[in-house]
Amino acid sequence: MAAPDELFCWEGDWGLPSVSTDCLVVLAYAQFAGAPLKVRKISNPWRSPSGSLPALRTNQKDTLSRPSDIIIHLRKQKYNADYDLSAKEGADSLAFISLMEEKLMPALIYTFWIEPKNYVDVTRRWYAEHMPFPLNFFLPGRMQRRQLEKLRLLRGDESLEAGEELEKELYRDASECMNLLSQRLGSHKFFFGDSPSSLDAYVFGHLAPILKSKLPNGKLQQCLKSLDNLTNFCTNILLLYFPRDNRESPSQKTSSQPEGGDFDHVPNKRRKQILSALVALGAMLSYALLTGMVSIQHVQQEALEEPPDLQPIGSHDDEEGDG
Amino acid sequence: MSLAADAFVSQLAAAEPWPENATLYQPLKGELVRSSGTGLSVVAYLRMCGLPVEVVYRANAEYMSPSGKIPFIHVGNQVVSELGPIVQFTKAKGHSLSDGLDDVQRAEMKAYMELVNNMLLTAELYIQWCDDATAAEISRPRYSSPYSWPLSNILSYQKQWEVRRKMNAIGWGGKTLEQVGAAQTLFMLTQRLPVLMLLFTTELDALVFGHLFTILTTRLTSAELAERIKSYSNLLSFCRRIEQTYFDDKKKKSRIS
Repeated sequence: MAAPDELFCWEGDWGLPSVSTDCLVVLAYAQFAGAPLKVRKISNPWRSPSGSLPALRTNQKDTLSRPSDIIIHLRKQKYNADYDLSAKEGADSLAFISLMEEKLMPALIYTFWIEPKNYVDVTRRWYAEHMPFPLNFFLPGRMQRRQLEKLRLLRGDESLEAGEELEKELYRDASECMNLLSQRLGSHKFFFGDSPSSLDAYVFGHLAPILKSKLPNGKLQQCLKSLDNLTNFCTNILLLYFPRDNRESPSQKTSSQPEGGDFDHVPNKRRKQILSALVALGAMLSYALLTGMVSIQHVQQEALEEPPDLQPIGSHDDEEGDG
Repeated sequence: MSLAADAFVSQLAAAEPWPENATLYQPLKGELVRSSGTGLSVVAYLRMCGLPVEVVYRANAEYMSPSGKIPFIHVGNQVVSELGPIVQFTKAKGHSLSDGLDDVQRAEMKAYMELVNNMLLTAELYIQWCDDATAAEISRPRYSSPYSWPLSNILSYQKQWEVRRKMNAIGWGGKTLEQVGAAQTLFMLTQRLPVLMLLFTTELDALVFGHLFTILTTRLTSAELAERIKSYSNLLSFCRRIEQTYFDDKKKKSRIS
């Protein structure tokens, strides 16, 4: 029997199986379709076969990175969560996925990667704490630049920057999108009957991070929590399909504590303290050398053997004679 | 502008009736490369609402628009660009095509509008700028026609580079038309047309018509997408019906062959 396909994705937190929207979409779809994937949850994207997450390594050693490509591959392997959908329902599914990509995705990117307080306090911090040294120093910043570039392309605006106007516009679109999804879901358990489909996977992947993350600026979260059916929808999927992940994780407890106690819970605290001390020492030595406070002189051997006649400090006869 | 100021401006705009001298600005006539089907969608929508509008073609329409997006309408002292905001603007003035829909139908209509924007609009751009033959023979010369050399070359290559960059970002770079999902979208629309478009005309009809009619009537080196549309009889008859109802001066026969 052939070995199962291997799925690499970001590790989970906040009671979610993964912190990444794309990874959540793929994980949810695989669960709904019953695909036997070997899931590898990692916190170093460079260990993924494609250099990014999610990534699926197939039996034939091909690598797929986009959620849509991974889902198409799973369908070809006869793991199809949309098997029971009519043509009309399939059309609706594609339409609502387009709606989310156009209206909700930009707001998600903004909330987690662009909004300054959320990015500094939650997103960058999470990735920096979970990535191995030294990647944690530069990868979160690079990821943010990529997300900003993605947002600019989605919005068709090259000079787009964080600001009140942009935030207002993005959150208005996202709020409208969530309301439309809520109206479409109604009082049903899933979007099309009693079994979940690819649309359910996409909706869950986009909404679960908003619902579960602890963000300082939680406007989007408030909007989602006001829609009871969508909140219950996400909670039900977590309970039914990801029961092991649906609990408070240690790092979540840490992040929900007051700011004063943050430093006591830093992972690898001792290593970071030593590293900081070495960097500080190096900086001080460099400064001392560059400013001439400390100088290193090369003294020749002969000079050491025959010391020159040193003039007494007090004698200034030559100078006085010149005057 | 604050939310309160926004609301105040909207109220003022809503209070004024639709003027007789409303103007829609588009790029040069017959130059469908820049605005794709969106311009036609806006014209169709305004005609469906029974709102008079004069269409003005300007080479620099793109640069006249405050948002840089086309087409845009100039109504009184208001300038609004793109179909979505124009629909909201007319709604504020009491002209709406989707009032008869319930919540679920309205949600589905808006989702399909995004599907058309996401797939068909992107497919149009893909055909025009990512197919080397079409870009060289039609798109670049047509796009650069209002400008003199060397600006014409600079702007047309800049546009092509922008579009290709976007295609790469969304994963369409290096794919064939078959792979990009435009054909799938057409199939989805054939499934949806009988359900949404029987009772009354909505802004979705205007949007779909604008894009389909543009693909059917624009000269391109590859007619693959147009042939796909023609293979679906209900899409073709839908386009003919809208054209005859809102665009025909009765003497001319349909431009859709």
